[in-house]
Amino acid sequence: MKRGHFLLLAFVAVLLIAGTVFAQGDTITFLSTQFNVVEEAEKARAILAAFEGGAVEFVGSEEAAMIDLLKAEAQTGAGTVDVIGALHGTFPTLVNEDLMFDLTELLASIEEGTDVNDAFVQLGRMGTEDYQYYIPWMQATYTMAAHKDALQYLPEGADINALTWAQLAEWGKAMQEATGEPQLGFPVKGLFNRFLQGYAFPSFTGGMVTKFKSEAAVEMMRFLRDDLWPYVNPESINYDFMNGPLLSGEVMVAFDHVARLKPAFDERPQDFIAFPTPAGPAGRGFMPVVVGLGIPFTSPDPEGAEALIRFMLSPETQGAVLRDLGFYPVVSGVDTSNLPEGVAIQLGAVEALANSPDAIPALLPVGLGARGGEINEIFRNAFDRVVNKGEDIQTVLNEEAATLQTLLDETGAACWPPDAPSEGACQVE
Amino acid sequence: MKKFPVTPYLLLLPSMIYLVLFFAYPMVQSLQLALRREGQFLHLRAEPAPEAAPVGTLEMQTEVRVLDRLRTEEVLPNGRTRPIYWFQVEAEDAAGSTIQGWVSQSNVFIESRTESTTARVVSGETTQEWTLDFLRRMVTDFRFGSALGTTILLIALILPLQFVLAIIMALVLQSQIRGSTIFLYIFTLPLGISDLASGILWYSIFTQRGFLNSFLVSTGLLDQPFIFIQAGNQGWMIAAIVLAEVWRATSIVMVIVVSGLQAISRDVIEAGEVFGANLWQRLRYIILPMLKPSLQVALILRTILAFQVFAVVVALTGGNVITVLANETYRWYDPARFNNPNVAASYAGFIMLLSLGISMFYLRAVRSQEEAEKAL
Repeated sequence: MKRGHFLLLAFVAVLLIAGTVFAQGDTITFLSTQFNVVEEAEKARAILAAFEGGAVEFVGSEEAAMIDLLKAEAQTGAGTVDVIGALHGTFPTLVNEDLMFDLTELLASIEEGTDVNDAFVQLGRMGTEDYQYYIPWMQATYTMAAHKDALQYLPEGADINALTWAQLAEWGKAMQEATGEPQLGFPVKGLFNRFLQGYAFPSFTGGMVTKFKSEAAVEMMRFLRDDLWPYVNPESINYDFMNGPLLSGEVMVAFDHVARLKPAFDERPQDFIAFPTPAGPAGRGFMPVVVGLGIPFTSPDPEGAEALIRFMLSPETQGAVLRDLGFYPVVSGVDTSNLPEGVAIQLGAVEALANSPDAIPALLPVGLGARGGEINEIFRNAFDRVVNKGEDIQTVLNEEAATLQTLLDETGAACWPPDAPSEGACQVE
Repeated sequence: MKKFPVTPYLLLLPSMIYLVLFFAYPMVQSLQLALRREGQFLHLRAEPAPEAAPVGTLEMQTEVRVLDRLRTEEVLPNGRTRPIYWFQVEAEDAAGSTIQGWVSQSNVFIESRTESTTARVVSGETTQEWTLDFLRRMVTDFRFGSALGTTILLIALILPLQFVLAIIMALVLQSQIRGSTIFLYIFTLPLGISDLASGILWYSIFTQRGFLNSFLVSTGLLDQPFIFIQAGNQGWMIAAIVLAEVWRATSIVMVIVVSGLQAISRDVIEAGEVFGANLWQRLRYIILPMLKPSLQVALILRTILAFQVFAVVVALTGGNVITVLANETYRWYDPARFNNPNVAASYAGFIMLLSLGISMFYLRAVRSQEEAEKAL
């Protein structure tokens, strides 16, 4: 190698190393399991550009990769991640591994100026009384969406903002009779377990776990099998995100996560309306989904991380996230005028849902730790066996309730809302 | 005395090392995962330190009474401190006797580290023990039977179809008729497509607003799109999977058959023609018997792959109403679903045993036939 080349290479290497060191000096690394799709990540970066406390590097990640990275950083003692943004369900593993700072003081200082949703703050304590594992960042939930053509078949006297499940079934029947095709759609391949846990069971039984094999639960399964499912598009077994079937016209009315309905409202806001999920005999069960912000012990810049969390919870940033990314605020005082049409339509349905007098908020399972996925399968199995395989309802519910009880006993999980709090492991009645 | 031949073993050594490292070792590990359980217990310590002598053992989920607590601090590299608590607790062990000792905060769930008077044991040291629990859980799962049944049904439907088609396709290519090179490209096209992509492709054909329904409705054969993929009519879903799999995986059989065909000397076939054998007779008495070794290789390959069929089934049917063994393996492994690698490993071991058994059977069948022929 010529001497000149070598010098040049050495110079470039020094520049590169210096660059990374300086960049690390005042860059705050924000690792998030949300917005890890390219377009969303770009919007998130644009919002973060307004942060004045330094440059923020927004890195999208899958859940498992995030957990592995944080564990590895804790083992080596050398960290790169300052702030993490993740679903409530990601935190139990991080809590078990004892990886996160207590953010009680930070939250108290934020709450001096802004009111943060109390229910979510409570969730962020992960069952403890005085350890704030995460500060709520934003929320989402599930709503219904309908094509405007479907409204003409709405049963007489039914109020779309206060529907019952029975009226939805009637509506489905009317649409099928008029169009010759089943027009209701559910994401059975997607987040269907949340429909069962947060909507079907609470609406009919008032609980999620404790009433799993009650008479009301049997009646709910019978309703799903005999009254609702005949009018649900059979292709639902292959639906993952409902925006696709809505846009292609395979179904006219659908249930899904707001983020998974959003593309339909973005693309054709004039064609679709959003409305609250229906109510059952026990009330209007619904499941808020919460995303939290936490700081790992290994954060190289905890002051910067705290400043960034403060910024993320300001009403301005929360408004920007709602406007550009369609996730809902967790603080009060957010300006919701001037929203894009699609976002405004969905926000209306979410607010109507949360404020409806018979609402039963059902939380994501708490206290199951790494076995949180197992409860999803228990609910799905119960549904599959009754509706798709035609097994006897009470037998299925008894058997799956036994599996559920084993899971609760082995993890020692106490009951969570909407079930009443329990001493010790939650018990299926 | 004859010298021990070292060279052949040296030549085999690299591949043996490769096999042991990348096949045998992971295989043993995965079987262990299926058959061994991590039991957990917690040692109470005499002093608030991890290396202190154990004074007793508690089982998981035991409720303990907190008698005293000790707070220490660890200074982190970023300048902050991290509190570390040790609790002096009292509890009843498995034998029913009351024991006292110290536990670290990381092993118990406690509502308030500073105030709570009770806590619950949630982690500890692990022990390994042999267990059949995971196998039992696999076999008693309500999807196990239907997964096994569907996998075998698919093999029984797909394999014969594929072999008949592959032989016909290979003969077309061998016939040297005009344009047979174009057929070669058409036939081998699916080889370059991943199984998931082909599943999605066929889904877009069979779905309610898919190509097939659009065609049938626009030509007036149907008034309304017909829903092929539905729980109420599993026959259509099986048919769609069979079609997709036959389309996707027949060409690999064809490639093997073509190479087998090329190994058959033209002389033999021409001799047959001279003696007046017609096409069917040449195929039945000359070509097929001489193709047997290639067909057997293809059969083993295809059967093993058919036990692993996964992506096409999930992409076409969603994987809940119709399920196969590989899909169940993933259902148990997936962190968002069962998150139970032990039962997943049981499934993996079961698929491996089935594949091994089938391969042994084929190899045996080949050998006994050859021996029988030699004896004649």
